[in-house]
Amino acid sequence: MKRLFSLALCASLALLSACNKSPESGSSTGSGAKKLTIALMPKSKGNAYFISCKAGADEAAKDLGVELLFDGPTEPDPAKQNEIIENWITLGVDVIAAACENKEGISTALKKAREKGIKVVTYDSDANPNSRDFFINQATPQGIAQTLMDEAARLTDSEGEFAIITASLTAANMNEWRKNIEARLAEKYPKMKLVDTKPCDDLKDKAQAEATNLLSANPNLKLIMAICSPAVPGAAEAVKQAGKTGAVKVIGLGLPSENRKYVREGVTQSVVLWKTKDLGYLTIKAAADLANGKLKPGAKEFDAGKLGTLKIEGDSIVLGQPFIFNDSNIDQFDF
Amino acid sequence: MQKYGRELSVAMVLVALLLVLAVVAPAFYEPQPLLSRLAREAPTLVVACGVALVMVTRQIDISIGSVFALCGVCAGSLAAAGWPLVAVFGVTVLIGATLGAVNGALVAGLRLPSIVVTLATMVILREGLRWKQQGAFINLPDAWQWFGLSQRSGQITLIVCSVALLAVLAWASRNLAGGRFLYAVGSNAEAARLAGLRPQWVTLAVFVFMGALAAWAALLNIVQSPQVDPKSGTGLELKAIAAAVVGGVAVSGGRGNLWGVFVAVLLLACINPALTYLHVEAYWEKAIQGAVILLAVIFDGLRNRRQTT
Amino acid sequence: MSKPEASHRHKVGALLFRHETILLLVLLAEWFYFNAVGRKFGTLDNTFDIMRHSAEIGLLALVMTPIILTGGIDLSVGSLLGLCAILFGKLWRDAGLPLPLAAACTLLIGLLAGGLNAVLIARLRLPALIVTLGTYSLFRGFAEAITRGVDTFTNFPDSFLALGQQHFAGLPTQVWFFLAVAVGIWLLVHRTTFGRSLRAIGFAPEGARYAGLAVERRLAQAYILAGIVAALAAIIYTARLGQAKADAGTGYELFAITAVVLGGTSIFGGVGSVHGTLLGVAAIAVLNNGLVHARQPREMAGMLTGALLLAALSASALPKLLAKFRPLRHSAAPPSSP
Repeated sequence: MKRLFSLALCASLALLSACNKSPESGSSTGSGAKKLTIALMPKSKGNAYFISCKAGADEAAKDLGVELLFDGPTEPDPAKQNEIIENWITLGVDVIAAACENKEGISTALKKAREKGIKVVTYDSDANPNSRDFFINQATPQGIAQTLMDEAARLTDSEGEFAIITASLTAANMNEWRKNIEARLAEKYPKMKLVDTKPCDDLKDKAQAEATNLLSANPNLKLIMAICSPAVPGAAEAVKQAGKTGAVKVIGLGLPSENRKYVREGVTQSVVLWKTKDLGYLTIKAAADLANGKLKPGAKEFDAGKLGTLKIEGDSIVLGQPFIFNDSNIDQFDF
Repeated sequence: MQKYGRELSVAMVLVALLLVLAVVAPAFYEPQPLLSRLAREAPTLVVACGVALVMVTRQIDISIGSVFALCGVCAGSLAAAGWPLVAVFGVTVLIGATLGAVNGALVAGLRLPSIVVTLATMVILREGLRWKQQGAFINLPDAWQWFGLSQRSGQITLIVCSVALLAVLAWASRNLAGGRFLYAVGSNAEAARLAGLRPQWVTLAVFVFMGALAAWAALLNIVQSPQVDPKSGTGLELKAIAAAVVGGVAVSGGRGNLWGVFVAVLLLACINPALTYLHVEAYWEKAIQGAVILLAVIFDGLRNRRQTT
Repeated sequence: MSKPEASHRHKVGALLFRHETILLLVLLAEWFYFNAVGRKFGTLDNTFDIMRHSAEIGLLALVMTPIILTGGIDLSVGSLLGLCAILFGKLWRDAGLPLPLAAACTLLIGLLAGGLNAVLIARLRLPALIVTLGTYSLFRGFAEAITRGVDTFTNFPDSFLALGQQHFAGLPTQVWFFLAVAVGIWLLVHRTTFGRSLRAIGFAPEGARYAGLAVERRLAQAYILAGIVAALAAIIYTARLGQAKADAGTGYELFAITAVVLGGTSIFGGVGSVHGTLLGVAAIAVLNNGLVHARQPREMAGMLTGALLLAALSASALPKLLAKFRPLRHSAAPPSSP
């Protein structure tokens, strides 16, 4: 009896929803009066790097008068980004701007969004080119990898052993960088050797532990390259505690605020990044202009408002080159 | 001797591994990294002791990682705001104990299953912390690192502190009435009740204690570096429970001693560094950990079967 | 059985009825609230979204129900999903098997993996929590080792992707599979002696053994079934995402356990229902989806799910607790255990 009751209720729910079906989903043909809705997705929530991008995005949203949605996965499961995008499709946003954790996986959802008339841009990490209109690139994966590898070579006189600490072995963008680092290494620095790559699961403490072991297991280690942002201070602390400040160099991709202390103390030599706030700002500006037709596919230049006029390479709007924070300039930045 | 069969077999595996490392990768025993490694494991040891005691009473606590992270962030915030060391320590342990009391009240008071209660509190605390902190590190004042001592003294202090705590708890759990209550309640709560114990109060107490230990472990953790990572403690419950189980604590309660847990913590802590020193690829780490847990449990099961047949 | 047992059953029956009804009310409340707050929430498109996003996790929750009914648990289903996903991809891409054959092999692998759990738990009588904790690491570890963490499998043919992304006869394709499995497991648990024996094992394993039930065999079958369904979920997941990765399914087991317990199944075993699990899955899925429409942060979904779980458990525990304050007549409270 009670099961029939439940079944009946479920059936009526289904009926209810069928009645509520609205024909349109994803209206990018908004009239001038309607506020644009731009949906911004980080790789994961609770990530300080993307929070700093969001600061720039918020600023742009205010300047341009658009509504900004910000949401991202809190779980590492690869499907979560897709689910959020599908939710946005149903919600009917105007533009989606996503930093893609899984290139192929997310392209499935982004393609669907485009089919429904929603404009799509990617930033920080790209999807498949046929699933988005533009890619807001702070720097190409090759550019980032080359900057890191060249910096490493500079600090070790292009000779010696080094190790990499990454986030997890499955992190797609890190793997992209690793591939390019190894390519650059093979191409230009035959006297350098990559002895080990360790994951830190995005945890500073684990990065510290891994670095401690690496230092001890590889006595000829000359540099640690931490490509996951919590790993940079973690590795630096390990080098410091091992008493090898200066003997083993530390470089990585990270936020200046997290590494300021170590850079000043000379433990960390270089922190590679870019102006994350600008990236966020640029992303929203491009998204808005794409939605209202100011930015068209095939354009060669993009007027990014207060960021100036930027070049478009193919369908990538490039912010610039990676920026190297070191002792001489790190105090000027507060993110 | 047979009574300590499990603890001895784990100790033997640990010794075997250490011998292999001594021969193949003697750099493992370099003093400074070794000290750092041991200091790094001190929080895990403290937490593993706590969860072992919880398991002895036939409960489980999978929220310890979230409590650990939350206490670390609280302590860090208070320290950054200028509070003195002792006050921060006191307040943080109080916070941990309170969170433990919430778990305990639900389990002991409402008789809810501990695995589900702590699953819920784990998620609530973790998501709440993530929402609040958004991944931002907290910078600690300089005087905080290593309690203000030098690095070496600080590390030795940490290690001695946690081993001393273990020793005290190991002794207390066997010799003090309170400790024996845990085993009584874990073996047979009904019999314990009939014998005059109050199982619900014992259960509440053990969860409060667990919360306090998780807070203490968080404090031992944050003094080891100048920044607090709100994500620290991820996966800690897995490590601690695995260590407890490998160390001979039975999930069904009433069995296990803390020295076994100690050896197991050391063993599990050696696996990852061993991979680095033996130059084994990092992607074997999880598979090996899983295999160690399974082997430990299978050994136990086979031994029990042999005994009962 | 004796009188206290019968009255115990009656009380349990009443409890169960109350729990499911409460959950149904919660589900309706969620639906109406989000419908009011979110413009596009009640649409058909959104309902399909909810179905598609919860198909794989729902499968895991469904197959977790018989296991929890026996008083056991399986923490390894999420990791097994990941392992099966990459093996499926590997069989197709590297071994060159045609997709249907690769799928069949994947189901076989799921069966074998479930079999490992079965041997250790049913045959060697090792505690389920710890065995599946070990296989949780082991399966994920194998997935990472085989792919070195880096390798992913993509570029599946559209005909396969239709399984996860297109519709069939009005509903998303995978929903049909989900319904088939749901009906199958419901019948298995509620209408066969197999299901009844699971409950009996959950209530009293020793008693069940003395009563002549093939306890080991039933337990083994439950875990093997979990393995097969996890493999099926892996295939659907890969079709939906268009990509197979080693970290697929991370965290799914906790969602599954939450859904099962929310649905009224006791973690101690013996009491529970498959329709309860379905309601549990629905309640959590609707909550997750609705909060997006209500423009709330994602973390809120986790927190509310946890709170909902506690509330639901407390609500059903209260009558039991109140009963304790009556003069001690019937059997004592069940021993607290994880």
